[in-house]
Amino acid sequence: MNNQKSGYVIFKVLFLFFLFISTNIQAQIAADSTSSDSALLKQLEEQMQTNNQPAPQQARSGLSFNPDIGVIGDFQGSYISTGKKNFDMYLNETEVSLQAVVDPYARADFFLSFARNPETGEYGVEVEEGYLTTLSLPAKLQLKVGKFREAVGRINPTHPHALPFIDLPNAFVNYFGEEGLNDEGVSLSWLLPNKAFYQELVVQVTSGFTGAPAFSRSEGNHLIYLGHLKNFFTLNDNATLELGLTGITGPNDSSFTTNIGAADITYKWKPVQLNTYRSLTWQSELYFSKAKFSENNSISSFGLYSFIQYQLAKRWFAVGRYDYAQKPYNKTIKEQAYSLTAGWYATEFSKMELEAKTTDDNIASRYYQAWLRWIFVIGAHGAHQY
Amino acid sequence: MIKRISFIVTITLFFLLHTNAGTIKVVTTLTDLKSIAEMIGGNKVSATSIATGYQNPHFVDPKPSYIISLSNADLFVTVGLDLETGWSPQLLASSRNSKIQKGSAGYVDASEGIGLLQVPTSANRGEGDIHIYGNPHYWLDPLNGKVIARNIANGLERIDLSNKTFYEANLQTFYAKIDMKMKEWQAKMQPFKGTKIIAYHNEWVYFERRFGLQVVDFMEPKPGIPPSPSQLVKVINEIKSNNIKVIISSPYFTTSSSVVVAKQTGVKVLTLATSTGAFNSVKNYFDVFDYDIDQLTAALK
Repeated sequence: MNNQKSGYVIFKVLFLFFLFISTNIQAQIAADSTSSDSALLKQLEEQMQTNNQPAPQQARSGLSFNPDIGVIGDFQGSYISTGKKNFDMYLNETEVSLQAVVDPYARADFFLSFARNPETGEYGVEVEEGYLTTLSLPAKLQLKVGKFREAVGRINPTHPHALPFIDLPNAFVNYFGEEGLNDEGVSLSWLLPNKAFYQELVVQVTSGFTGAPAFSRSEGNHLIYLGHLKNFFTLNDNATLELGLTGITGPNDSSFTTNIGAADITYKWKPVQLNTYRSLTWQSELYFSKAKFSENNSISSFGLYSFIQYQLAKRWFAVGRYDYAQKPYNKTIKEQAYSLTAGWYATEFSKMELEAKTTDDNIASRYYQAWLRWIFVIGAHGAHQY
Repeated sequence: MIKRISFIVTITLFFLLHTNAGTIKVVTTLTDLKSIAEMIGGNKVSATSIATGYQNPHFVDPKPSYIISLSNADLFVTVGLDLETGWSPQLLASSRNSKIQKGSAGYVDASEGIGLLQVPTSANRGEGDIHIYGNPHYWLDPLNGKVIARNIANGLERIDLSNKTFYEANLQTFYAKIDMKMKEWQAKMQPFKGTKIIAYHNEWVYFERRFGLQVVDFMEPKPGIPPSPSQLVKVINEIKSNNIKVIISSPYFTTSSSVVVAKQTGVKVLTLATSTGAFNSVKNYFDVFDYDIDQLTAALK
């Protein structure tokens, strides 16, 4: 009886196996047979003819394999209420972008930054970003290699000229510096098979060649590891919500480890029909850091920023931002800052912004800062992240 | 009992192996492309559009949620000619779907073979938002709808050759319907040949040529630049000297400046459909022209 049963099961399995094979063989036989070959050939010929039917009536000029080239100028004037030199003006940055598809499998993006070193006054060039992104990995994976701005929430991946304010939030600068966490290495992102909402998991491993104060390159094999989970919800046609979680671990300049956890939340309201006239963004990020500086000295610190951007008219934007930051090396030093920015966006290719900011901390007296910046773009201008 | 269950399992597996995964998933940038894809693809396709019919096709926000549908798409259809340059390339690059990248079988540029108008001889942003390959609002000429349909049929046949006769038959039906409706539309517009009008944005050139209207100026001083007081004065003078009766605009532009001009001159401000879905009654590509031509002929009488 038992034998009979197992024999039946084996028969079933074999039957299924042959069923599966047969479907594949059927397809192959069809492809191999000569009669269907000529039918296919005929079909292909017809198809090629029909493809050619709407013959281009006009030659398209200017075709070349040159990458899309763009240059972004960032001119600024600044004021600070402390110190001897209160006013300054400078071409903050000139960014040259070169972007193109490499081959059917990948695209490449380069951003070269020309800027003056504020200490030496010398002009220098650096590769702000330079990376290859795959376009054809299976399983909804995407690989990025090179030098890139890392996936920490919302501010870090964004080029400063695209931010709606001129200075960076204090907490962000304390951990990641003016240049942000921007390092060389490998990034793998996976689009989770979730049909209800957008979910992306990014894992990045980098060498530590970053200017970020929180991390530095180790003398040994200690790399920087980052994981970011992005969740994006479409609330309705006009509103979206993004929630992100980030974890980073890597070596610091004391040859011990710094761990940073971050969370970001962004609500956007943009009426679909009149999206060029009115919009509102509320965006906040929180950073927690635990840095070990010696065997028995670890410092935990915390910082956040939160801003609201409101579009008053087609060209006018207003931004109010609050910053709170504990110094990563001494959490008893606490900064608080308030800033207001007015933006006038002439076109997609130029904008002017004016920002005023007050900063308080618990060791020095309050000081005031103001900036005026004019951003202008020539050539190709890629889309910004939403 | 075991026999019965295993029989059911076998049959189920058999069907799973032999039926196709389902319909062909088409994602289009604009609703007009979706409407035409549905007419050509019939029940073999399920089509979605990224933009709605009442939003500015130049400035669609590249929300990550669009990446979900793109990542599962079999066919991507774009207007092309730089119209969607601010949003669709980024979405495509993030889709992780090699089937629909530019140059792949599942990528359809609907502008292939369109007789383009207003191809600039020089590219200079001092002229505003000009399109270096030519004016991209070509779907507003119903005869260009035929070229779009041909391109979409080609795309469907590239990835689903087995249903070629089905798509070809639908294409012929579409051609015939366009030809039939064209006669009706032309007849309605015939009395207004050569009529001068004002438009808000330079997006009517294909419509204007096909139906014999003459757009003499725009509310925007240059494409993409909002109306300035000096432009309004210029437009008011043109309306008065040419006895212009209508300003045409689109659902995604504010009419405040047109209303100012209307108060000064008595001109009518018409918000026309630029795409399928612009208004509730505009349900497909043919409705766009039915709606616009009814509105125009009523206003110009």
